[in-house]
Amino acid sequence: MTSGPPKRVPLLTLVKAAQGTGDVSRETGEDASNDRALNWSILMAHTQAGDAGAYRRLLTEIVPYLRSLAARRLRDPADIEDSVQDILLTIHAIRYTYDPTRPFGPWLVTIAQRRIIDRLRRRGRLHSREEPLTAEHETLPAEQTNIVDEMSDRHELHEAVENLPAGQREVIRLLKLKEMTLKEAAEATGMSITSLKVTTHRALNSLRKMLSRGNDDQ
Amino acid sequence: MTTIPDLIDLLAASLKPVRRLRPPLERAATWLALAAVIVALLAIAQGPRPDIATVLRQSGFLVSLSGAALTGVLATIAAFMLSLPDRSRLWILLPAPPLVLWLSGIGYQCLTDWVSVQPGAVTLGETVRCFATLVLTSLPLSLALLLMLRYAAALRPTSVVFAGSLAVAAITALALSLFHDADATIMILMWNIGTAGLFVALGRIFGKTMFSWVAPRPDIHLA
Repeated sequence: MTSGPPKRVPLLTLVKAAQGTGDVSRETGEDASNDRALNWSILMAHTQAGDAGAYRRLLTEIVPYLRSLAARRLRDPADIEDSVQDILLTIHAIRYTYDPTRPFGPWLVTIAQRRIIDRLRRRGRLHSREEPLTAEHETLPAEQTNIVDEMSDRHELHEAVENLPAGQREVIRLLKLKEMTLKEAAEATGMSITSLKVTTHRALNSLRKMLSRGNDDQ
Repeated sequence: MTTIPDLIDLLAASLKPVRRLRPPLERAATWLALAAVIVALLAIAQGPRPDIATVLRQSGFLVSLSGAALTGVLATIAAFMLSLPDRSRLWILLPAPPLVLWLSGIGYQCLTDWVSVQPGAVTLGETVRCFATLVLTSLPLSLALLLMLRYAAALRPTSVVFAGSLAVAAITALALSLFHDADATIMILMWNIGTAGLFVALGRIFGKTMFSWVAPRPDIHLA
């Protein structure tokens, strides 16, 4: 019912066994994959002992395999990469649960499947309540966000301002576009504040006329 | 974003030697020993039920008792097996046969006797004492199991939680049927499996964050 593996297996024995099987059976593909699994299991045993070189080699070797496992269930390449990273992190976190006397494959595959399913579920959750943003979604109540509309308005407005008489154009430029105060504008132009106000009023009136005519044309 | 080669570098750089887990059977035995100690301490503190000599001669009681004991042992083994990634999921079925045996013996329940109103006094009923035994047994056992199996949070949390709760429930029932004359099986199952179910349901809602406080984390810091 249970497998009672010996408590501590010396690494040396395992390495020896691996070389032995490798020498005898290298002919068939199945043997090659057995070899590979055995090799991973040895590398994992070294990893548990703290051998960073073996660990790096193990992780680098299993990544293509994990990627192919993930690619069977996930389509988005970013998801595949993310789930491979999740798997590597889980392997790191629970590396002490591996028993080197048992095959490495099933241990790895269970962990991989769990993380891939997690990723699938997260996908499902996102899809059920989120939608990708499209151009239509960008028309938002705040005026600054409607850049496209604003651009055409701005263009029209600038044209209208250019068509104003020189005095009115200057006043609009200073007071409305440069947003000067009446006092600053008075200093800049040498006009009195009252005449600035009158000119602004006239300028706005003519702009309004020009722009509403423009809209009627459309 | 971290790329896979970066991650491998990071993991290799933060590698520390680890101690392998003891074989699952050995760990199950350790936990069962703890359970035995707790039940024994309770036996000393509370004393056996007054009619222990009589009921131990009743075959129905013995069947139910041994069913509970066997369920406890087998569910513990199942929990420790399920917690390992390279063992079959079918271990969950291991405690099923004795569970049937145990549940077939359900008789009186101490669900209904919370408070007994007598002339002149309202006293706490047998249920309250039942409940005290229940909590005293199941709480430390559950916590110990949670700590011993915390790495399973990353693998098969649901089945491990259920097998573990069943083990705790069975041992609690064993303790209760030795110390109290009312059968509290339903209450115990409701308490243990119900709590487990609640945790699993919450886990579904909150996703991975649920057991993350107790789950092992990789001892690295991603930039």
